[in-house]
Amino acid sequence: MSHVLHDIEKQIVKLLQSTPNLTEEQLSQKTTLSMDQIRRGVEWLRQKKLADVTDTTNISYSLGKNGLDSLKNGLPERRLVTLVQDGPKTFDEIRSSLHGLDFNAAIANAKKNDWINIEKTDTGSKISLKQNPIGNSTWNTFPNTIDFIGEKKVSAEEAERLHYTGTISSLIERPDFIIKHEEKTKTVSLSETGKHIDLEKLDSGAIDVEADVPHVHAARIHPLKDTINEIRDTFVHLGFTEITGNLSQSSFWNFDALFTPQDHPARELQDTFYLKDLNAKQLATPTQIKNVSNAHKKGWRYYWDIQEAKKMVLRTHTTCVTIKHLADKKPDEARIFSLGRVFRNEKLSFKHLAEFNQVEGVVVGKHITLRDLMGIQKEFYRKIGITKVKFWPTFFPYTEPSLQSMVYNEKLGKWIELFGMGIFRPEVTKPLGITKPVLAWGGGIERIAMLKFGLDDVREFYNNNLSWLRTATKCQ
Amino acid sequence: MPVVELSLSRLQKLIGKNTNKKQILDSLPFLGLDIESLGRNIVRVEYSPNRPDYSTDFGIALGLQGILGVSKGMLRLNIRKKGNYEIKVDSSTSKIRPFVTGIIARNGSLDDEAVKQIINMQEDLHFGLGRKRKKSSIGIHDLDRISFPLKYTTTSRDHRFVPLNSTKESSISEILQDSEVGRDYGSILGQSTKVPIIIDAKGQTISFPPIINASLTTVTTKTKNILVEVTGIDKQSAEDMLSVVVMILQGAGFQFSQMKVSGSKNSTPSFATRTITFDADPVNKILGLSISGSKLVSCLKKCRLDAVMKGKKIQCTIPRYRFDIFGGMDIVEEVALGYGIDNLKPAWPASVHIGEKNATSEKLDSISRLMTGFGFMETLNYTLTSQRILHEMTNRDSSQIISVTSSKSQEHTILRDSILPGLLENLSKNIHETYPQKFFESGIAFSKGSPIKETTSLACVTASEETNFSEMKAVLQSLLRIGFNIKCETKTLSKHTLFSQGRVAEIVANKKTVGYIGELDSKVLENFRIRTKVVGFEIKLSGLIFD
Repeated sequence: MSHVLHDIEKQIVKLLQSTPNLTEEQLSQKTTLSMDQIRRGVEWLRQKKLADVTDTTNISYSLGKNGLDSLKNGLPERRLVTLVQDGPKTFDEIRSSLHGLDFNAAIANAKKNDWINIEKTDTGSKISLKQNPIGNSTWNTFPNTIDFIGEKKVSAEEAERLHYTGTISSLIERPDFIIKHEEKTKTVSLSETGKHIDLEKLDSGAIDVEADVPHVHAARIHPLKDTINEIRDTFVHLGFTEITGNLSQSSFWNFDALFTPQDHPARELQDTFYLKDLNAKQLATPTQIKNVSNAHKKGWRYYWDIQEAKKMVLRTHTTCVTIKHLADKKPDEARIFSLGRVFRNEKLSFKHLAEFNQVEGVVVGKHITLRDLMGIQKEFYRKIGITKVKFWPTFFPYTEPSLQSMVYNEKLGKWIELFGMGIFRPEVTKPLGITKPVLAWGGGIERIAMLKFGLDDVREFYNNNLSWLRTATKCQ
Repeated sequence: MPVVELSLSRLQKLIGKNTNKKQILDSLPFLGLDIESLGRNIVRVEYSPNRPDYSTDFGIALGLQGILGVSKGMLRLNIRKKGNYEIKVDSSTSKIRPFVTGIIARNGSLDDEAVKQIINMQEDLHFGLGRKRKKSSIGIHDLDRISFPLKYTTTSRDHRFVPLNSTKESSISEILQDSEVGRDYGSILGQSTKVPIIIDAKGQTISFPPIINASLTTVTTKTKNILVEVTGIDKQSAEDMLSVVVMILQGAGFQFSQMKVSGSKNSTPSFATRTITFDADPVNKILGLSISGSKLVSCLKKCRLDAVMKGKKIQCTIPRYRFDIFGGMDIVEEVALGYGIDNLKPAWPASVHIGEKNATSEKLDSISRLMTGFGFMETLNYTLTSQRILHEMTNRDSSQIISVTSSKSQEHTILRDSILPGLLENLSKNIHETYPQKFFESGIAFSKGSPIKETTSLACVTASEETNFSEMKAVLQSLLRIGFNIKCETKTLSKHTLFSQGRVAEIVANKKTVGYIGELDSKVLENFRIRTKVVGFEIKLSGLIFD
């Protein structure tokens, strides 16, 4: 098998073929490649099974602050012995020469080595020499070790070889005497294959086309926006023209014009977002207001209150945009759609949002039938990749008859409720002067996007989590 | 949508004719009942609030009989006019809850399951049709404990009786204060000193509508004869509700006697059917069918309505409890249901319509494409957002906020007046991801003005150690030049809460200030826990590239 090696790899292999077992640092020094390049090269070689890496920890020692002080001035306990050599001294006398930690360390260690006596007298404790330790075996043990380390860093191997290991571990227990350094190094060696690669014979122009490369992140349109755009395009392909309207609406267009009585539960604060202290100034034309008011009085038998209709809400559906357009233009024939954010006063959960996207299309025409609307909807689903569709009856307050479409989801293995559809009730259309049948269909977009992107938590669309945005598959 | 729990074996018995469970399950959706969950014998279905007759298995069985062809046509109601059952209404009720109606149901038997179904029905009727008991409410009583005639009148809040599920006497005030139903529904009675009450011939309290019945007339599985009374603020609504109860009790095997109602604009309920006469032609036309008159009649009968052909017209008779039927279009739906929605085949209409996107959508699409071309990731944030993001973290002015009432979530209480703070929140959520991070968002921002102005804006940010003002200005100018051939300038701005002093400018295009651009202030970044440099801009697109 022939190998394709990067120039970095070649340099490493060449060096290791003449000098086996080098650390990454040594490789870097000798090749003048950066540590980063060496690490990468070694990793590639390892993956190709041309090199092995062994992790080793190198231990070395150097003197700490107190160690260096003892190197210069002698160990505190030895200085103590010198002080009491010509007779006992009180603690206070000694304290004038040895301060703080030095004092405590000196007393403790001299006592431990059995060099001194401490006698309690009336004038306080006195320290006297027990026996002259100068020249004893214990006298020079530590100073030798301190001298051995000196101002250098010595390796554990060398300390071991010269039998300093024992004294070093004693001195390490004293604060700031000896610092232990642990350095992890990676030692690189060539595998059998690696040793036998003939670098001269490798094709110098070839690169490793099989090597792994880092991920590149694409800047992209938001995945939910992709679905929204796809749905918008599909409506346009089916001959529908887009209309738009405000997110804030008067209750009149959001509810009253759609024959939703003013005491209907959907209009309560707990379902609908009302805008605090804001009322619509201009609702609709006087005729529109009068006719809608009459329809409510006749159909629902209650006192219709215009103040209630003036309250501003965040639209609960896009139907308010549709109905206003139809009431103003009164087309005999039309295919229009409206798409955008709608709002419900919901507690957020994996399946509910307080703000989401909805699309709604309507067909107006003298000869349009319910079966036509089913056909349009089926074609819509086919265009976005859904082929199994069936229809069930349902109820919507402003359409009659009303159907819901059920689509089969292969991934989940079950039927899922998607868009609703129906014919606008005459109680809605007549008061607004719309004389031709209006067939409407639509629903939430996030639900479709969830199926497309395989999400089971709808909130993910608005978390703007970069790791997801960077990796979600674009074409679903 | 309300939910009702059904036992399949009970439904089988109620439907009759050896109907199997699969037939039932397959047919439920075609009555408009969504199966919510399914056990071995128990199925929970959601029904539409316009069909309160589906609030019990009695009503659903009636519907299934029709659609399965077991039994068709309208259920006839037989009400005996004899008997001395009467309720007299005192005019004092007219100010507080003016109407009462009712019926006597006899010789039935209610097992545990039937009692459960009827309690479920009562709760659903109270909630939906009754608008949480405000518009109308039901009381069901053991007839054999009552002496007629009854009196519907008012009493003071000191009036005492033993309420349902209790053994000791309480006053009206105590019930309103101490019981759960009292606290939940007491507000319906407002502050009035007099409250409605039903009292029998012996002076015994029967009911305190719309709050609670008396313990005296508690219905149990031993009850054979019952009185149903409905009180309310609208006569027709009260009778609507009663008609549903009567239909369901008929399914449970009861026989009915009339209860006379008189006094103060009240009258005895008639349960009269209605007839709607309509042309067969338009029905076929709107459904896209061409079925014969007799087939249309059969479809309607499957929906438990009565119908006959009168020449080219169909005369349809509608039972009292189908008050959801307003007119012709409702009949069209009944025909479709009787025909079977699964028998309606989708068709493809010939169309001469050419679809078009809205110009604003088109331009926003172009902006998204250009921004991703510049290397920016699109984010989507809520337009209904929080004080925290819009004001607390950014120290922006909050005097002109537009807020919603009673939001269920603290994070969704005010409408955004700017898009940029949301992008900072996005950066904040992604501090553990690799840099540079570049985001943009286009969408609606709101501001006050007769009553609200909705402006489409674009905001964008770059976060990285190396980024700087010029980089962002270059993006801004290129976007407007390449996208819309608009030249824009940046003019020194002395101060802006979001940006560092000396590193912020106004964006000026067509001699108008359309936004601002700059390096984000370190305090603001600290609030969002962002540790890199951030530059950004926000620009109003409405008025610049579209209206």
